[in-house]
Amino acid sequence: MKPGTLSSFLKRGAIWGFIVLELIFFSLAGEFLALSDKAFMDLDNMLLLLKQSAPIGIIAMGMTIVMINGNIDLSVGAIFALAAIILLDSLTWPIFAGLGDWVIPVSWGMALLVGVALGALNGLIVWKTGVDAFIVTLGAMLGYRGLVFMYNGEQPTSHLNWTLVDFAEAQFLGLHTATWFLLAVTAAIWVLMTRTVHGRNAYAIGNNREAAVNAGIRVGPHMMINFMIIGFLAALSAVVFYSESGSVNPNDGQLYELWVITAVVLGGTRLTGGAGSVISTFGGVLAIQLLRKGLGHIGADTSTVNLVIGLILIAVLFLDRQLNVKGKEELKI
Amino acid sequence: MKLRTVMSASVAAAALTVAGAASAETMRIGITQNNVGVDSYQTTYEQAFIAAAEANPDVEVVVLDAGGDVARQIAQMEDLIQQDVDAIIIWPTNGEAVIPAVRKASQADIPVIVTNSNIAEQGFDFVASFSGPDNITQGARSAEIMCDRFKELGIEDEAQIVQISGQPGYTTAIERAQGFEERLPEVCPNVTLVETQPGDWNREKSQQVMEAFLVKYDDIDGVYAGDDNMGVGALNAANAAGRTEGITFVGATNFAVGYEAMERGEYWGSIYQSPVDDAEAALQTAIDVLSGEDVPFLNYFDTPKITQDNMTEFTKPVF
Repeated sequence: MKPGTLSSFLKRGAIWGFIVLELIFFSLAGEFLALSDKAFMDLDNMLLLLKQSAPIGIIAMGMTIVMINGNIDLSVGAIFALAAIILLDSLTWPIFAGLGDWVIPVSWGMALLVGVALGALNGLIVWKTGVDAFIVTLGAMLGYRGLVFMYNGEQPTSHLNWTLVDFAEAQFLGLHTATWFLLAVTAAIWVLMTRTVHGRNAYAIGNNREAAVNAGIRVGPHMMINFMIIGFLAALSAVVFYSESGSVNPNDGQLYELWVITAVVLGGTRLTGGAGSVISTFGGVLAIQLLRKGLGHIGADTSTVNLVIGLILIAVLFLDRQLNVKGKEELKI
Repeated sequence: MKLRTVMSASVAAAALTVAGAASAETMRIGITQNNVGVDSYQTTYEQAFIAAAEANPDVEVVVLDAGGDVARQIAQMEDLIQQDVDAIIIWPTNGEAVIPAVRKASQADIPVIVTNSNIAEQGFDFVASFSGPDNITQGARSAEIMCDRFKELGIEDEAQIVQISGQPGYTTAIERAQGFEERLPEVCPNVTLVETQPGDWNREKSQQVMEAFLVKYDDIDGVYAGDDNMGVGALNAANAAGRTEGITFVGATNFAVGYEAMERGEYWGSIYQSPVDDAEAALQTAIDVLSGEDVPFLNYFDTPKITQDNMTEFTKPVF
């Protein structure tokens, strides 16, 4: 075997191997510990898994690009909540009263626009001021959350529209609406990152920003577009999720940024940028949801779930580090 | 099911497919809670719920916690439906957002019991029963506590009181104020409620509200607060102004701070609401629904009066 083949295989396949391990573990443990007579790997349960992965998963696709870029976006949870408020509140605005159920696409559009605009604002500040994206989006996270609370105080914003709920709960070819959105977003971002100039530039900028500038890539606008994409996806995630639930608490979406980043890092994208894959992020998202679902299935409590995910995250980063050591110290198995 | 067969075949250990070993009569009940650990009421609730379930040989429970996250709670509802439990108990993270998930359960013929805080009215059709405190009665009982105290002090014909209510828009706040305002004129017709202001369940906010009241009114004989947290805020304001003497403080949902203030003799009374009773009532309601008993839609558990006179009968609240 050529040196490095094993490493790169492990790097790419690790997350999927981990998912298989989880499936085996929860199926076996479920036989003994679960109250349910149904198997963990029941087809319906796996379809639910995909659906439940959607809120985090859709945002994680955007986070993958931003992180490959060498940036990060901590404001996604707040954008998620703000987009949800716009969606649910605008359904009842008097100016749209004449539209009937046609208000739904209008509200969707407005929520998505808000997401894009907030993302653009993040990107513009990162581009024009040169301040690190971590700091800019940390500020945005607090600021946008402030807007959420200004909108309706501590109270939930609600509007239950059964047409919308029925659409969101529908199953087409067995897959839930949310799953279709997750799959479509994954496919679109995969094409963007592997088949377009924009995608190749994203890797180039993350690898070596100076070299990218020298190569004539317009780094600032490129990064701004990526922030707009993640803003759009955070809003899309909210639109998909809140169509089904119809009410948003002002602290909804809190900690989403951390779950999303966890999923992306589990998928092997580097915090320093330049490397990462959309498909592996998809794996990372599934791995987290599987853990939550599986531990619930065997009756572990929520604190255990968080503990286990934390441990696994550290293990993954350690493994990644070991696999990336070049030359003499390279991992040998 | 195919997948499962493959799995079982590939792993020898799976030969022990006597899944769950659940007997036919065992009731499997799933609960998804709001946010365990955020306050000790909810933590005590969970412990009491598990203890009550373990004490009952006919019941097996799946205990889940949404961690305050609506998305997780909806996923947990879906999981419980998927696991085909016999009944689901839900402590809603958001009284409206969970309605579609509750509808799904009712469509799957799984009875849903809402615990502690009810969901919005649109969802009532999909719910078997609500188990929780009766806030209107709590308000009425607070009025009685207040009135009885005024009679003891002999000021029932001249007393002036103020009210600090909970956060506007919250059912609990609205119902407690309603219960108090309806009952007070029945028991003490000559007591006047001079003003009501919201304290938003917040101690500091209530302190400010009370400070304003103290400036505005020279004669305040009683304060009714929507919960002890706000009542203690009002008490702090009165202490700072040196006017605690002669004011009867009555709250609701006895908190530890309220209990301590009662021990010091500064705070008169409250309503004792135990998370243990709350949890046991929820489980019992689920069991009754499954046994086919006639359960009222609003299935309240008792929340007794507590005053300086009888407080030794109650243990100090943990929250």
